[in-house]
Formats: sequence, structure tokens, C-alpha cells
Amino acid sequence: MDHNSNPVTAESYEQRIARLESKLSSLEQGFKTKSLLQRPVDWKASSEKFGLLAAWLAVILILGAFQPEQMFSWNSYATMFGSNAMIIVLTLALIVPLTAGDFDLSVASTMGLSSMVLAVINVKLGMPILFAIFLALSIGAVIGAINAYFILYFRIHSLIVTLGTGYFVNGLILWISDSGTIAGVSMGLVNAVILYRFLGIPLGFYYVLILTVAIWYGFQHTSLGRRLLFVGRGREVARLSGVNVIQMRAGALILSGLLSAFAGILYTGMRGSADPSSALAFLLPAFAAAFLGSTSIYPGRFNAPGAFIAVLFLSTGIMGLSFLGVDSFVQNLFYGGGLVLAVSISQLIRDRAPMD
Amino acid sequence: MKLISLTLLIALGLSAPALADTQKAQALIDKHSKLPEFNNPGEAFDARACMKDKKMFVIPLTNSNPFNAAISRGFSDAAKMVGFQLRNWKTQMDPAGWIQGINTAIAEGYHLIDLQGGLPPEFLVPQITEARKAGIKVTATHNYDATTQKKPDFLDGAANTDYVTVGKIIAAWTIVKTGGKVNALVLGPDEITPTAPIRDAILNYLRDNCPDCKTKYINVPVNEWATKGQPAVQNALLADPSINYVLPVYDSMSQFAVPAIQIAKSKAKIVSYNGTPFVLDMMREGDIVEMNVGESLGWVGMAGTDANMRLLCGLKPVNQLNTPAYIFSDENVSTAGVPATFNDGYGDVHQAGFSKLWGIE
Repeated sequence: MDHNSNPVTAESYEQRIARLESKLSSLEQGFKTKSLLQRPVDWKASSEKFGLLAAWLAVILILGAFQPEQMFSWNSYATMFGSNAMIIVLTLALIVPLTAGDFDLSVASTMGLSSMVLAVINVKLGMPILFAIFLALSIGAVIGAINAYFILYFRIHSLIVTLGTGYFVNGLILWISDSGTIAGVSMGLVNAVILYRFLGIPLGFYYVLILTVAIWYGFQHTSLGRRLLFVGRGREVARLSGVNVIQMRAGALILSGLLSAFAGILYTGMRGSADPSSALAFLLPAFAAAFLGSTSIYPGRFNAPGAFIAVLFLSTGIMGLSFLGVDSFVQNLFYGGGLVLAVSISQLIRDRAPMD
Repeated sequence: MKLISLTLLIALGLSAPALADTQKAQALIDKHSKLPEFNNPGEAFDARACMKDKKMFVIPLTNSNPFNAAISRGFSDAAKMVGFQLRNWKTQMDPAGWIQGINTAIAEGYHLIDLQGGLPPEFLVPQITEARKAGIKVTATHNYDATTQKKPDFLDGAANTDYVTVGKIIAAWTIVKTGGKVNALVLGPDEITPTAPIRDAILNYLRDNCPDCKTKYINVPVNEWATKGQPAVQNALLADPSINYVLPVYDSMSQFAVPAIQIAKSKAKIVSYNGTPFVLDMMREGDIVEMNVGESLGWVGMAGTDANMRLLCGLKPVNQLNTPAYIFSDENVSTAGVPATFNDGYGDVHQAGFSKLWGIE
């Protein structure tokens, strides 16, 4: 724990954090200063901030011109919001460690394991759904802790560790499920996720909305969130400023596991069943949304509202094109293309600084 | 009065659209709602005598799939009944495992290798050729369709499934239930061998027997059922809320179709094929899965063994499994077990049938 080698007093610690914070915000604002001086409204910054929202609106209007009946129907959006809840949560699970500079490739596997643990405990063992949910969430946190241990103690790159743990977890899923799909999960959960609605939108969406607001608040308005950002921006600088880098990264990975497990609970609740492999396919859509989200609202940062809008933007495009009768390969084009495009845009925002 | 009735009759006759053939559809449903009967696939023969010094090697698509595991058990049961050596190879849907299986069978001097339950023989042509050079017969059970697909030349035999009838039963059911007003969304993964015959049978049967019926087909590859299947069904239901049937070619897709139907607040029902236990459970406990065409997998294993033994004993080849397609609906789904299994509900006439056929009684 070499960060303790340079002990700091409480006072100087706070001062350092404040200095770091002001340096960070001056860096972020740097490119805007010139235009701010020239005009009262910073159009460039605003267009970056709200570009994705505008693009979303444009997609709705353009596709709506061809399919007004479905594209301008509230029911279409209510349905789409409800069915994307778990992808939003999985995206949120990704942006927490990404903010701290770590990749977590095991999120989709953790989601799958949580989904299956829930079904096994509730259906096969006949235990109450609340206990099953508690256990599924705990397992998610444990996987996050295991990732953190290998990444931080052995100092291995997060990509390698989480690739390995993800694959390991896939094996666990096949083992506990006997490679089969388990149906018949408590209707209480299914009701609470998709069958009960408010304003026509399944309840699952509202849990995710609350979660997004909570993570946004945590990132933007708490010192914990700011410290996580420093860790991601420069580990060494953060360490020298007295931030407990190890603790922050471990916490981010554990939270990522916990959120992935929550995505798994929503996934099982949506279907009333769990299968051993399908959750794994959500990894790429979640990555695409995380990076696309980082180009908007708080451009250049992984952020919860951006991620939230990005998932819905991508799904709106896919929905509209399906209404037009385009084949289902359009999803690959959207998510794959969206990921590369989003990373390219965020690189432009960062003035094409090399990615570590 | 007579004149009025006559005019009315003529007017009705002229204006009435072509009607769906519900009677024909009902007859097909009735036929496959009865408990399966055993029909001899070929002549009776003395299986014990001809299999005395022969060994059979079965390679399933994967062991981690209850469907293939149930067929493998059928093969083992048959081998036990007759009393010959049979080895069920363990694989995890990996070509390396399949190849290792063929090599083991060659090295250990087996007489026949059966690629069971959807393992695509096309992936293994060099290994199959090598095995045949070593004098081993190579066959495939439950992969090709009995009428629309042919056994490739590089195989010695194939015990095929009547997928076309399965597709027809699914289509007929929807015609009967709606009185010829079907608006069906058909789903299938095109990359799987049996998809084409089932898909075409459903679409063609509706086209030929139901002039007012509408269909739409969406291809969703297996590994993208979750990410694409659900949005595709959801969007199709939003685009056309009058869709009253979702027909996945394989019933495992139901787990993604059910939430799509629920979220889109559609009243569509699901009718499908395979008799997979969790889907039968969904039928028993919910209202969306309405009917499922299944087949006894233990029976499939025994029928595959029968075809293989005939090949080894130089008898007239059998190319079609005699396992009948059987309809599960709310009325009889509990006979499949609670929770459902792959083998219950079909009766066990096949066991007595095969032992008589093989001269074991």
C-alpha cells in the first residue's frame, strides 16, 4: 500500500482534493474559455452536451415521417423503455469502473449468474423470492470483490482478469443450471418488473430511472464521485494527492458486480425464467451505450444520464428501422457502429490524446 | 319468399371469400392429439444375433443440452435391451470434441459412429471420410428432414425426422383456433438444419389452406435470440397489433417471445415445436404458450439404434424415425410431469414395440 508512504494530514488532504478539483475543472473548461469570452452563449459546448438528445429527437422525427402511426405512439416508447431496463443497468455497471479507469468484461456473465441463481433458489429450491434476490445481489458483489483482488493485489490489467472471471462465471452458470432453462420464477417479481405499469411503462423502468439519478448524484455532487474521477484521470496524481486509489478502484469494481447482479434480477423478472447463455450477448450493447453516453451531457466523462439516453437512443433507432421492415442485422450495425463512432467522437473531444 | 332466399343464397355465395380448410386442419390435429402408436419401421429381425460382436459409438451435438442427453439415454436403453456395447461420447458443442470422438471410435475399433441430435455432419467431412476408410459406418440421427432433405453421400445412413408434418400441425392448429383468421409471426434461426423444412411447412400450409391468413417471417440466429429476438417480436407486435400467433420454429425461443408479448400488451399466443420441459411448464402455468408439438426422445434414441442396427446387419435401410409428433396443450400438459420432462406424457408403447421387433421378448 505505497500510497500510505506519504502520509497527509486531514487538512492538507482536503486542500489537495480542492486543488485537484479546480485543476480538473479548469482543464475541462479550457477549450471553452475562448468561445465563452466571445459570446454569451457557448453553442459549441451546448451542442456537445445535448447533441445526443438532439440526435434522438431527429431519429424519432425522421423515422416518424415514414411510420408516423407507430413512431408517434406512446405505447411504442412505453414498451421500449420497459424492455431496455436491464441494458441500462448493465451500462451503469460498466461506467462505474470505467470512470476509475478499469474495464469490467465480466458484467454480462455476472448478470447471467445472478439471473440463474435467482431462478435456481426460487424455483428449484422453492425459497422466497426476496431471499433469492438478496443472494443474487450478494454473489454479484462477491464477483466484483474477486475481480478487485486479482486486479489490485497482483496488479494485472483489468481486461485480462475480468475476461477470465467472466468465462469462469459462465461455467458456474452451466453447472448450477444443469445447462437448462428454468421457468416459473415467482409472479411477484414478474409483476414488479414488467406487468405492473405506471403511465403505461413497466415498473422496471422506474427503478432504473431512480438508479440513474442516484449514480448521477453520486458522481457529480459527492466527494466520493469526484475522487473516483481523479483516480480514472491519473492514478499517480490521485495517489500523491492522498486519494486511496486501491480502495476507490476496489469499490468501483464491487459496485459494478452489484449493479450487474441487479441487471440479472430485472432480466429474470422480465421473462419469468432464466437461461444459461443469453445474458452474455448484452455486453456489446452495454459497451456501445457507455461510450456513446460519454459523448453527451458531460462530454468526455462516463456519466449516468448520458448512458441512459444512449441506450434509449440506440433502441429507438433499432425500433424505427424494424417498423420500416429492415432485417434484424440492423442491430449489429447500430451497436457495433455506435461503439466505434462514439469512441471516435470522445477522442475528438479529448483532442485525440492517445488512449492508455 | 323462395325467391328472396334464393337471391340471398346466391348473393352470399358470390360474396363469400374463399374459406380456410378448417376440417382438414382439424383432422390433422385430431390425428396427432392421440397418444402415439407404434408402427414397425421395417421387418422384424434377431437383433441379439446380428449385434453379437458389434460396437456402436454415439456422438451427441452436446451433453450439456437436456434434449441431446435424453436421446443419448434412449440409445443406451436400446443397447442394454439388445445387449451390445455402446459408448455415449461426451462433448460440449465443440468441433474439437466431436473430432476427438471420431478418432477414439476409429482407434478403439467401433463398427458404427452415429452423429446424434443436430450435430452437423458437414463440419466433419474429413474425419468421417477417414472413419469410413477404416471400415466404420457413419450415420446421423434426428438431423435431416425425412422428405425435403437428402442424406449426403459422405454418410452411410441417416434416420430422419418428419419436420414437415410438425410445421403443418403448428399451422393447422392456428387455423382451427382462429377459424381461418390467422395473422402469424414466424421466427426461426436459419442457420440450423431443420429450420427450413419446419418454417416452409408452416408458411406453405397457411398459404395453401387459408386464404385469409397473413404471415411474416423473421430470422434470428440462435446466439442472438436474447438481444434480437425479443426486440424483433416486440416491434413486429407494435407495428401490427392484429398479430394473433407467434410461431417460433423451436420452443426454446418462447422465453424471449413471452416477455415481448407481455410488454407489447399483445394477446398473441405461442405455438411451437420440441416439447422442451420448461416451455411445457410455461404452458401449464401461464396463458401465452398455447400448444407445443413434442416427440418422445427416448423413442428417438431407440429408433436411431434400430436404423443403425439394420445398417450393420445388412438389412433394408430405414431412413425415417418412427417417432410420432404429439400435441401438448392445456388439456394434457400435466401428463408430461410437474415439472415437465422430455420423456413423460408420450406413453411407452415404443419399448414393447422395439423389443418385439428385435425378437427380445
